[in-house]
Parts: sequence; C-alpha cells; structure tokens
Amino acid sequence: MNRIFASRLLPLMATGLVLVALFAAAGAGYENFLSARVVLNLFKDRAFLGVVAVGMTFVILSGGIDLSVGAVMAFTTVFLAKVIGGLGWSAPVAMLAAVGIGVGFGMFQGWVIHFFRIPAFLVTLAGMFLARGMAFVVSPRSVEIRSAFYDDLGERGLPLGEGLLLTVGPLVYLVVVAAGMVVAHGTRFGRNVYALGGNEASAALMGLPVGATRVGVYALCGGCAALGGVISTLALSSGDPTRGTGLELDAIAAAVIGGTVLTGGRGWVFGTFLGVLILGTIKTILDFDGSLDPAWLRIASGGLLLGFILLQKLIARRSVS
Amino acid sequence: MKVFRSTLVWPLVALVVLLVFNAVASPGFFHVEWKDGRLFGTVVDIFNQGARVPMLLALGMTLVIATGGVDLSVGSIMAVSGAVAAMQVNAGAPMVQAVGAGLGLATLLGLVNGVLIARVGLQPIIATLVMMVAGRGLAMLLTGSQMVPFANRSLTWLANGSVGGLPVPVVLVLGLAVVTGWVLRRTAAGLFIEATGDNEKASRRAGIQTGGVRFAVYGFSGFCAGLSGVLEAANISAADPARIGDTRELDAIFAVVAGGTALTGGRFSLAGSVVGALLLQTLTLTLYNQNVAPAVAPVPKAVVILAVCLLHSPRLRARFGKRTQPVAA
Amino acid sequence: MKRQSFLRLAGLAAAVSFSACKPSGSGGGGGGGAAGGGKLVVGFSQIGADNPWRTAETESVKAEAAKRGIELKFSDAQGQQEAQISAIRSFIAQGVSAIILAPKVETGWDGILKEAKAAKIPVVLVDRGVTVSDPTLFATLIASDFVAEGRMAGEWLVKKSGGKAGIIQLEGTTGAAPANDRKKGFEAAIAGSPDMKVLASQTGDFKRSDGKNVMEALIKAHGAAITAVYAHNDDMAIGAIQALEAAGRQPGKDVTVVSIDGMGFAFEAIKEGKLNCTVECNPLLGPMAFDAVAKALKGEELPKQLVQEDRLFDETNAPAELPNRKY
Repeated sequence: MNRIFASRLLPLMATGLVLVALFAAAGAGYENFLSARVVLNLFKDRAFLGVVAVGMTFVILSGGIDLSVGAVMAFTTVFLAKVIGGLGWSAPVAMLAAVGIGVGFGMFQGWVIHFFRIPAFLVTLAGMFLARGMAFVVSPRSVEIRSAFYDDLGERGLPLGEGLLLTVGPLVYLVVVAAGMVVAHGTRFGRNVYALGGNEASAALMGLPVGATRVGVYALCGGCAALGGVISTLALSSGDPTRGTGLELDAIAAAVIGGTVLTGGRGWVFGTFLGVLILGTIKTILDFDGSLDPAWLRIASGGLLLGFILLQKLIARRSVS
Repeated sequence: MKVFRSTLVWPLVALVVLLVFNAVASPGFFHVEWKDGRLFGTVVDIFNQGARVPMLLALGMTLVIATGGVDLSVGSIMAVSGAVAAMQVNAGAPMVQAVGAGLGLATLLGLVNGVLIARVGLQPIIATLVMMVAGRGLAMLLTGSQMVPFANRSLTWLANGSVGGLPVPVVLVLGLAVVTGWVLRRTAAGLFIEATGDNEKASRRAGIQTGGVRFAVYGFSGFCAGLSGVLEAANISAADPARIGDTRELDAIFAVVAGGTALTGGRFSLAGSVVGALLLQTLTLTLYNQNVAPAVAPVPKAVVILAVCLLHSPRLRARFGKRTQPVAA
Repeated sequence: MKRQSFLRLAGLAAAVSFSACKPSGSGGGGGGGAAGGGKLVVGFSQIGADNPWRTAETESVKAEAAKRGIELKFSDAQGQQEAQISAIRSFIAQGVSAIILAPKVETGWDGILKEAKAAKIPVVLVDRGVTVSDPTLFATLIASDFVAEGRMAGEWLVKKSGGKAGIIQLEGTTGAAPANDRKKGFEAAIAGSPDMKVLASQTGDFKRSDGKNVMEALIKAHGAAITAVYAHNDDMAIGAIQALEAAGRQPGKDVTVVSIDGMGFAFEAIKEGKLNCTVECNPLLGPMAFDAVAKALKGEELPKQLVQEDRLFDETNAPAELPNRKY
C-alpha cells in the first residue's frame, strides 16, 4: 500500500528533492544565498506567476492550453490603473471587477472552444491578441496607481522575524495554491478535470459534464490570470500594457517541470508550485552570480533547466523498478 | 483524400475573404508589375516574406506536430544558422560552404532536440524550450552579441535575387514543400509520421520505429529553421542573433493548426500549412496597407484568427453541409 | 545499459550547468561589497540584450567597471520589469554597494527603490527615467531626452524638405518609452507644417529586418508619394534603405531618410549618401554612471538629471566625425 502511494507521488518528491539540492548547492557557492530574505524574495517576486500557473495547471490537466494569460494579466493592470486613477473607483471594487472580467473572458474562451470544437491553441491565441490590443487601447504606456488602499495594503503582512514581512501578494499566492490543491484533489470538479484530460470520450460516455468542466477550467484560468494582474499591481503600484509577454510560456514550463503532462490527465498543483520555485531559484542563482554576459546567461539558464529535468527523471526512474 | 480536401478548403476560404477585402479596400493591392527583370507587387511580397519565415518554419513544424510534439526552438535555431553563415562569408568562405555550415549546425541542433525527446524521453515542450533559450545564447556567443553585417553578393542574392522573375526564396521554399510532400506520400515516411502521432504504442507494436521517426522530424524542423535563418540574414545582409526569429515559433504553429493539422498529432497537411502561412502574411500586409495603428493591430488579428477558427469548426461545417466525417465525441 | 548511459548523461548535464554557472577564478559573491574591504561591488540591472545599442551600453558599463577595479554583478532581465525587480532584490540581499538600473518602463519602481533606500544602497538610473513619489529614491538619472531627439529629427526634415513631404514613419517597439517619445517629439515638430504628411506609421520593432519588410509593403501601397522616411532607430532606417533600393528608388537622393541613434554604420551610410541624417543617442553611459556612483557613495548631492546632449549629424558633419564613433 505504501509503495503504491510512494510510486505515484514519486515524481513530485523527486522534484522537491532536486530543488532542495539545487538550493543547497547554490548556498554553498554564493554568500548570503541561504537566507530567509532570499527565500521570501522567491515568493514575493513570483507571486503573480505562481497564481497564473495554478490556473494554467487546471487547463493543461483538462487537456487544453491557454495562451492568453499574459495578455489578460496586462489588461487587468491597466484596467485597474484607469478605473482607480481615472474614474475614481474604490480599489477593492475595482479588483473584484477585474477578476470578474478575467473569469468572464475565460468563460467565453472555454465556451467557444467547447461549443464550436475549435482547437484551444487557436482560440486562446486570438484571446491573447484581443486582450493585448485592448490593454493598449486602455493605455498605450505604463500608468501609476495612486491609491491609499494600495499604500495601506502594501504595508501590511505577516511578520516573519528579522524585520521581514510576508506581504499580501505572496500570501494570496499561497492561499491560491492551497485552494487549487483542494479543488483538484478534493472536489468533483477536480476529478472531472482529470477525467476530461485523461480521455474525453470516456469521460463523456461516463456522463461527466464535459462542457461545464471545460468552460469551468478556462474561467478559472482567466480568473487566475486577472488575479495575477491584481497582485502585480499591488507589488508595483502601476499598470503596463507591455507586461506579461511570455508569461504563458513560463506558466506552462512551471507546470510541466512540476510533473503535469501537456497531453492532459496527469499532474499536480503542488508540482506547479515547485516548478515556479525552481524557475525562481535558477534566476536567483544567475543574479547572484552576476558574472555572466547575456549569451552565457541564456546558455546557463537552459543548461540549469535541462540538468534539473534530467536529475528529476533520473531519481523518479531509478526507484520505479 | 476527401478528408484532406475538406480541411484545406477552409483556410483557403479565409484567405480568399481577406483577399477580397483587400481588393475592395486597398487599391493597387493586386497590382503586379515587371521591374528590373522580376515581379513586383504586394502579392509578390506576401509570397516572398511568407516563404522566408512562416512557410519554411511551418513546413518543419507540421511534421513535428504530426508526431504529437512541438518545436519552440525554431526561432533560436534561425539565429544560430544566420550567425554561422554570416561569419563564414566574412571569413572568406564561398556562399555554398557558408550556407552548408549554417544548415548543418541547425540540423544538428534539431537532432539534439530529437535525442532529448525520443531517447531521453523529455516532453517536447520542455526539451525545445531548453533549446530555445540555450540556442539563443549560442547564437549570441558565436557573434559576441553583435550584429554581423556581410557583403557577399551571392548570399544576399539568395534572399533578394530572382529566378525567372520569381523571388528566389519563393522558388526554394515552394520547391522544398513540393519535394517534401512528394517524398512523404511516395514513401512510407508520411504514413509512419501520421501513425506515430496518432497512436504511438500501436505503431510501435506494428513495428514502426517511432523513436527514429521523432528523431528525424526534429532534425528536419531544425533544417527548415536553419534555411529560414540563412534567408533572413541574406535579406538584410546581416545576421542579427539577438533578435532574429523571436516569437516566430508561434507564427509557425498557428500556420500549421490553421492549415488543418491537429496539435494532438496524426493526420497532417503540408498544403494546409502553406496556406496557413500565406494567410498569416496576407493578414500582416493587410494591416500595413490599411495603416492600422500598431498598438491596436492585435485586435483585428484576433478577429481574423477567430474567424478562421469558426470556419474550422466541425459544427459550422456540418451545418453548412460539406461531406465531412462525423464529429468524434 | 540504458540506465547507465542515461545516468552519465544526467550527471554530465548537471555538472556542465553548474560549472557554466560558477565564475571562473573568483568565488561567487566575492565577500559582499558592503561587508569586506577592498573591491567595490555594484549591481547592474539591464533590460535585455535585444539590440546593438543596448549591447553597446552594457559593454560600456562592464568596461568601465573593469577599468575602475569594481566587481560588477550583471543581470539581464530579458525584457521583463518583474525580472529587473527580482534582480535588484538579489543585489540587496547580497549587500552590493550601489545599483545601476536601466528601467524598462517609467512606473512601478517605488516599492523596490524604497527597499534599496532602506538598505542604504544608492541607485543610479541610466537610459530612461522613472516616475516616483519621492525624488530622493534615486541618486540621479543619466539619459538622453527621447522627445528632444524626435523633435530635432522633425525640425531638420522640415528644413530639408522645405515644409513639404510624404513621410513614412517607422516606429520602435510598441509601448516602449523611446518609441513613444520619439514619435511625440517628431509629430510635434512637423505639426506646424501642414504639407508635411505622415502617409503611414507602422512599427519596425527597432529591427532591421522588420524595417525592411514594412517599408517594402508601404512602398507598394504609397509609391511615388513617399519622399521621406523617419525611422526611430538606425537599424530600421538601414532596412528601409535596402527596401527603397530594391524598389528602384534612391534613398538619400529622391527619398530623404532620417533616423536616430548615431551608430557607426549610420555614419557610413551618410558617407555613402544613402542616409541623410541621424540624431545621436549615446549608449556609452558607463563612465558617467560610475562617476555618479562614486559621488553618491561619498554622500554628495547630485542633480536629478544629467541630460546627455544629443548632436545631429548629416552630410555636412558626419564624414568628419566618423573616425570618432565608438559605437
């Protein structure tokens, strides 16, 4: 019984193990790396990506893909900047509206994908262009957000000792990850998502609500993208239509590193959480090193990622005889 | 065969609609003249610019996607081959050698992708993502992150010259497409690719070397990207390793999917991908002609893509009656 | 058999990546600038490596650091503001003495600059400005005035064309500050001359290849009406020149071509008579940046902005200046 359990979660454990090893190796090589501050930064800097990646995980689990997340995030940031600054909306109301728009946009994409049976790649690609264009329409350049609510929220957080604060952004991120795990493994919706990704025909024959599930994952992903935008504005107090380019690729990479298979049906939200941490650790290592030129930086980035994946595979494969 | 025809029709319809729009809204869009011994006109540009990058990348990408994979590294491989070719001619090598070196390295990088995917068992998206990042770094390393201008006439001719009035890239790429299609259909190669993408386990049991098939298609994708990189460098008589090919993989995947090949693999259509690439290039030039503000240009792009999607939709197709196969659950 | 070779492959990849990561020679982190005596450590957060101008800027900073015996921590954010911020956070965690920042956009820096200030690390901005609530959050800004560059180009074109031209504008990357500002300055300069018409304005993304493709398309659309081309950077201008030549026009003679940046190859093009004018935008900000860093570390007050004087070069003064071009 234990062995079956262990072998199913093995890839996850392998990922976690290699992450720890990576961190330790970096700590040995670079001064000040192994500190609470650096770990906290990993969460602070990646909070928006982490939230978006959770949504993306659900979409990939269902066998789909969502290329629009970066553009939706950017749109959310300029939307917030415009309504709070230009129209004087209250910040909490604006944030709720923004997430609502993200959910609605995702629902629309999911509906088009399902009802018209069009490849998710094409629909969400169109969604990406649409959202990016709309972001530029709202504001062609980056805009500040001046709001008492934002300033106030920026000061708050959970004290972690050493004068460090777990601010709202990373806090929301951790809550979203936990919620994601609960939804994926503890709710009917979650089970339906896995079933849908595993084999759509079987799922339909079993009587599972394929359409509702599909619309649901894209709505969830859109909502997460918008929430990522909200977190981004909290961190930077500004909106920017050029933000988030390439975000979808980072989110997909985090999910895949964490063990989610692109064809659907297999993966873990926690795995994506680890994946985001890994991408962040690699970047932090390269920043701490600081001695590489742009060419070597890219080579090292790719090399570290590859090394990581190979080690992960090695550990997982080795123990499964 | 009938299935092929019906999947090809719809991107063609989308293309025709765009062309009709231009006939009405952009005076002189179809104006073609004979200048300095070659054809000259917007439609020629569509083919010329379309051949150099979208069509060529889509060619390789079609086969990769047909095996159920994806190749995100094509843009970076373009950068590497362009850099190699430019540096070679600057060192005095003849054009053929320079191009050969670029193509060789590009194919090699594609084969590395193939090894990672077929032998080591990485997911295609991760393996080619690694190559995308590291490959860009390699291109920048080779050139010290600088642009590499060159003054070699025959290399520049590859992108700017003409053969019988047609631009050289168009002749090269369409020729490659025709030859590739012919080889794939005449030999069992096409069948093996489709089988591998459709159901890998069953294909292996049937004796098909699915590993070898995947290895080969990634090598071919690398080759196509290599040729594209050489043509792009030839076009501006300079290699631009930091920027060339950036985000072009997305264009290629779009062309393939719009052309009727499913991302999940299996049946593919080279002709569809060529039409998809032409569709993309026509859209781009339409936006230039209409002087659509660059910031809002993504919006009409989205509308056209959505329209292509809808045309693809089996539901709509069934409603408007072509003899398509029944919609699978 | 398979597992063994796989093991070896994995180990090799991991080893290669780690060794590629470690700097050859000096240990990583070098004793932290603030803590140890001896070498000064400065962090440089660069936007990316996406064009020759930016590469020249990076080289300039690196060369100057090496000249002054300063250890430079270089971060390339590949075009993401969030990556720039996380790089600065890493610099702060490592205890660098000062930070040089080339900000990708104008807003969103309040938070991180406050963190740097709290850690008593002075920040010198290069290349682009920021909008912040508290001007003491950065030591100084060393940059060119992009709006002025566009305006100079516009004014020169008005004079050269006698107030009448059919202009094609090749814009920089959509949403980027230099593109927005160079467009603003140019359009303001030609606003007073009603016969200066912008026939079309499209983005060439600051790239030579896009500049050529766009120009090709626009030549077919506007033909003989085109008498001038204004490109936001030299790269796109060269692309446009290639397109014009392929179409049988004579750039520099029957089509006036104006651009910005003042790169060496632009000067060559002016000498050849194909480019008419380029407005300088000097990327060699290393020396000025480190001068500012030195002063800031000594506690000296610096003017908020050290504007680089951009000069305009055309056929009258370019050939003479050519030997002096360092970028």
